[in-house]
Amino acid sequence: MPSIGSNHFSLEPWTRLFTHPGFVNSLKATLVSGIGATLLSLSITFLLFAVSYQTRFWKLLNQTLAPLLAIPHAAFAIGFLFLVSPSGWILRLVSPDLTGFDIPPDWNITRDAWGFSLMLVLVLKEVPFLVLMSLGALGQLDVKRSLAIGRSLGYHRVLVWVKIILPQLYPRIRLSLFAILAYSLSVVDIAQIIGPTVPPTLAVQVFRWFNDPDLVSRLLGASGATLILLLVVGAIAILYLLELALRWLLKRQVTRGNRHFHVFFPNLLSKLFIITLVGTSLAAITVLLIWSFTWRWRFPDLFPGSWSLRFWGKGLMQVQDPIWNTVKTGITSSLLGVFLVIGCLENELRLQRAGKHTNTPTMLWLTYLPLLIPQIAFLFGVQVTLAAFRLDGHWPSLVWSHLLFVIPYVFLSLGPVYRSYDQRMTDVALTLCGSPWRVFYRIKLPMLLKPILFAFAIGFSVSVAQYLPTLFMGAGRFDTITTEAVNLASGSDRRIVAVYALCQLLTPLLIFLSALLIPRFVFRNRREMQG
Amino acid sequence: MLKLQAVQIIHNKEPLFPPLSIDIKPGEIASIMGPSGCGKSTLLSAISGNLADVFSLEGDVQLNDHSVLPLPMEKRRIGILFQDDLLFPHMSIAENLAFALPQALLKSERQEKIAEALKQAGLSDFEKRDPGTLSGGQRARVSLLRSLLAEPKALLLDEPFSKLDQELKDQIRTFVFDTVRRMNIPALLVSHDVRDCPEGQVINLAKQEG
Repeated sequence: MPSIGSNHFSLEPWTRLFTHPGFVNSLKATLVSGIGATLLSLSITFLLFAVSYQTRFWKLLNQTLAPLLAIPHAAFAIGFLFLVSPSGWILRLVSPDLTGFDIPPDWNITRDAWGFSLMLVLVLKEVPFLVLMSLGALGQLDVKRSLAIGRSLGYHRVLVWVKIILPQLYPRIRLSLFAILAYSLSVVDIAQIIGPTVPPTLAVQVFRWFNDPDLVSRLLGASGATLILLLVVGAIAILYLLELALRWLLKRQVTRGNRHFHVFFPNLLSKLFIITLVGTSLAAITVLLIWSFTWRWRFPDLFPGSWSLRFWGKGLMQVQDPIWNTVKTGITSSLLGVFLVIGCLENELRLQRAGKHTNTPTMLWLTYLPLLIPQIAFLFGVQVTLAAFRLDGHWPSLVWSHLLFVIPYVFLSLGPVYRSYDQRMTDVALTLCGSPWRVFYRIKLPMLLKPILFAFAIGFSVSVAQYLPTLFMGAGRFDTITTEAVNLASGSDRRIVAVYALCQLLTPLLIFLSALLIPRFVFRNRREMQG
Repeated sequence: MLKLQAVQIIHNKEPLFPPLSIDIKPGEIASIMGPSGCGKSTLLSAISGNLADVFSLEGDVQLNDHSVLPLPMEKRRIGILFQDDLLFPHMSIAENLAFALPQALLKSERQEKIAEALKQAGLSDFEKRDPGTLSGGQRARVSLLRSLLAEPKALLLDEPFSKLDQELKDQIRTFVFDTVRRMNIPALLVSHDVRDCPEGQVINLAKQEG
């Protein structure tokens, strides 16, 4: 573990860390964007469920959920940057008519020092994830009937959510929430694109130290990474305490009996948020598209002055290798991931039926460990270990490192569905044909085709989005579309960056589309399989 | 008094059953029977105010001479009991019951009412218990108590006994009917088992005269 000085223990890297110029601001930005994003995402998710569940706006959210999740973080951040920055599309929309700007203003909207724009991007990406996880968890609660009972007792629908359903939901999404917390506090790729620049967030700073040719910085990086880990642990502890406090408060409130609720304001907020979420994502993609075809686009024109296919041409040529790497790694790690997870779940089933004890909670925590520990904190250590065995820089190591992160997400997405599969189907099928293998691949797998393909698509997009593992494990030898896109985003030509970002976007999108369309086609004549 | 006047539920422009008219006096328990899919549970959702969008209601439902149709579900003061007890698992028994009580009560009054209700159900001193530790019959009783503590003006029962085993059914049935009669509110019960129906009006939804 880091903290070992050149050849002996020393606190020196820590003192240098704390006295590094800009440390306090880095810390501030990290905490604001990290904890702020998590709490905000949670509140918004709860708001959405309590107020808009099953309304028309909900249907909009539901339909766009999968595509929203499929947009890789980096591409979204880049699109957001092109949208919201002082020379971005939104300002071009209102200039010069409303604002009188002829040249981009010198505002600090994106890349602001407190990390607010970073926080915003994180929230926009994390809410769909949290909604997805919550939907899975809600399947275990009888939402319809709980609502009916609560309302028949006189409580407004929203209050039934707040007092009855959400308290039961929270423990089930706790793990996902902690994963989001760890991610937000330690994200590097998005922070590089849209986070503060001088000083950057802690995670970015640590990353720079790790990449500094001056080897002494590695020690600084190690202590920084450990600090981030401690921050995550501390934040999780705070969330736990917060939960206890809120539960205590809720108990006191719940028995008071107040049933009335004015829905107008929260309703508006909730609708606004859904619109913003969907709208921003669409706008971000559109602006990327526009930039990729641009030749010349002066501020404050609404659209480019001249168009060109040149950058697509150039980009597609340059992007072939990275895309091939990305797809190769993605498909392999995702296939392996799905394979392993199904094996795990089947094994769990077998143990349960034999009445043996399955240590599911422990397994759960173990599987999710890579999500809870900030990547930057342990990847360096892993790389050092691998390098000692000369294993880094090989493609299998890269796949393995992606697998570490693909598995938890595949598990998260496939687990609930797999477990709620009606086992009686298997029982009946066994009595009919007697061969467990046949039952498995002729009955169970086809019935679960859609969730399995979906989990594969999620695994694939997780692999595509991996930035740090590719850099560390690949020892710089593998370029993926993500590493290229992030590297280009911090400077250069918006046009070529847009092409790269769109490529990063399209890759998982295609897989998601197939995941949606293949089952629909295969089962086109089966009504019950359309669910 | 609960009055249904020429009530019909429409789905895809077709009514599910012939128009239903029934008057239920306070303390009376009327039963609706019928084969699966004839619309019994949907009828209850319509009366309580929870009708799904794909259905529409024709006719009128009146409680104590006022139509409840313009009111949202939480204002109708009509209680509902399902097959599953649906006790809130994150709250104790007392908290589940307290949830049903009106806002205006003092803490001591609340505690008194809860204790009294539990005593009548034979569950004294169950206040602090976790619903997960109670037996099926005990949970069914608490569920009924909870609905009644809200002092509803009418009670709907959607196959409330179907998940209980045979011995329990008789016990709980008697408990429910006695309590409803004592509270003197009209009740409407839906079931596919004729033994669930007490003395009183029994209507077969599918076979009524139009």
